Amino acid sequence: MTDLHWMTAAEAARAIAARELSPVALMEALLERIGHLDPKLNVFIRLDGDAALDAARAAEVEIASGHQRGPLHGVPVGIKDIIDVSGLPTTCHSKLLIDNIASTDAVCVSRLRGAGAIVLGKLSTHEFAIGGPSFDLPWPPARNPWNTNHHPGGSSSGSGSGLAAGLFPMALGSDTGGSVRNPASACGIVGLKPTYGLVSRRGVFPLSFTLDHVGPMTRTVADNALMLEVIAGRDPLDPGSVAAPAGHYSSGLQLGVRGLRIGFIRHFHEQDMPADPEVTAALENVARTLQTLGAEIRDVGLPTLGEFAAVNRVILQSEAWAIHGPWLRERARDYGRLARRRLMSGAFLSAGDYVQAGRRRLEMIAAVESALREVDVLLCASSMDPPCRIDDPETVERTYPRQARTPFNVTGHPALAMMSGLSSGGLPLSVQFVGRYFAEATLFQVAREWERTAGAENKHPTVM
Amino acid sequence: MDKATVELLARRAGLDKALAQFPEDVAAAAKQASDALAKMKVPSDPRAEPWPPMRVGSGL
Repeated sequence: MTDLHWMTAAEAARAIAARELSPVALMEALLERIGHLDPKLNVFIRLDGDAALDAARAAEVEIASGHQRGPLHGVPVGIKDIIDVSGLPTTCHSKLLIDNIASTDAVCVSRLRGAGAIVLGKLSTHEFAIGGPSFDLPWPPARNPWNTNHHPGGSSSGSGSGLAAGLFPMALGSDTGGSVRNPASACGIVGLKPTYGLVSRRGVFPLSFTLDHVGPMTRTVADNALMLEVIAGRDPLDPGSVAAPAGHYSSGLQLGVRGLRIGFIRHFHEQDMPADPEVTAALENVARTLQTLGAEIRDVGLPTLGEFAAVNRVILQSEAWAIHGPWLRERARDYGRLARRRLMSGAFLSAGDYVQAGRRRLEMIAAVESALREVDVLLCASSMDPPCRIDDPETVERTYPRQARTPFNVTGHPALAMMSGLSSGGLPLSVQFVGRYFAEATLFQVAREWERTAGAENKHPTVM
Repeated sequence: MDKATVELLARRAGLDKALAQFPEDVAAAAKQASDALAKMKVPSDPRAEPWPPMRVGSGL
């Protein structure tokens, strides 16, 4: 049997349901690994180990008596600490909310629990899911298990780091300008920003109402599809939630890419933000490999990354100011420096600026929709650089905006980031696939074919 | 954005305390906003609508 800590969620769920694996044994193995590695990685803000073990024992009894809660019964999951878990603090990694105990589960957590998943604890993030790795907060920033001197990406930093280190097989993240896909890229795991409105945001602390997405983070594409099947669905109390057709997201995993038309957005990494040569070479390898497997690769053009990023920032800063303005006026000192700088920006934008960004947003949506009428999936860069050192604030500041994720927060299209290879320094490189609205199954189809061909799911860091 | 404008806008937004305690952070925040605005194209068609639109009868 695979080492317990490298088991996928699907493998664990199947073995637990077949009574070949005790959920208690799985939980104990993960807790032991967490105890050993978390002091080096800072993944957890709050580990709820005793409750998780109790839940694993309850799951074992239920399964032994023939009661199967759902497709994730007994499988551990980590939750980004901007997402409410009943009875646990939702701190948003901030001094401001250090005593904020959630009274109910967020809808996405409730759905996971309904499917039998067991919450392990709350995971590190950038403060209020913005800024960067900060050393002036109540908890230290998470570190990259491929090299702990390096940044794991963010803002869902603990989710990415903990998955790559084998601390849990599934995690929830959130994505407003790329915060699921950045740690997926930096840590070599799979992160999906679903179509806007597909997963409820209720119970998730907002950063930017019209850009926020909740997304599944896993080590494999199949697990990501499985997790999305559980958390997707209409929530009448989330104003952005949509009544999408029921998704059988795992159905196309074995279909391959023969006959699919894939649009390669080369100008993102060649002209708009010239990428590190190793990133470019890995992207070309992905495109060439998918072509060899039967896909048709075409060049596609969209507005520049600079334009997308500007619209994203004006909207994000305006909406975030509406949320944080009252605290920033009275308690600016209680924020870390990076979040304080980012969140105050909205004070310098006008109502007219916000509306203009919304008008440009519609044109950008039209541009991506037009491209996706000609192709089935888009392929592009995620991060333009390998993960940088976490203790080098100038490099963090320089490389953080060098990415191609914000366009799809602006437009709401589903986007998945995963490993494209390893750099010469042994750090993950990344690729991003983007699909039509509610066509996550097609994204998984392409991503799985790349994962299978590259053997990406078997690449793990050697964590000491 | 010059220093006087930054201070004026910060005070109008109620950021007097932040301005006194963290003037460099206030200035950096103002610069981020103006940098984003400088890179954003504005639709030339006066009929161009913003997204998301007003919708009635759903989502509430």
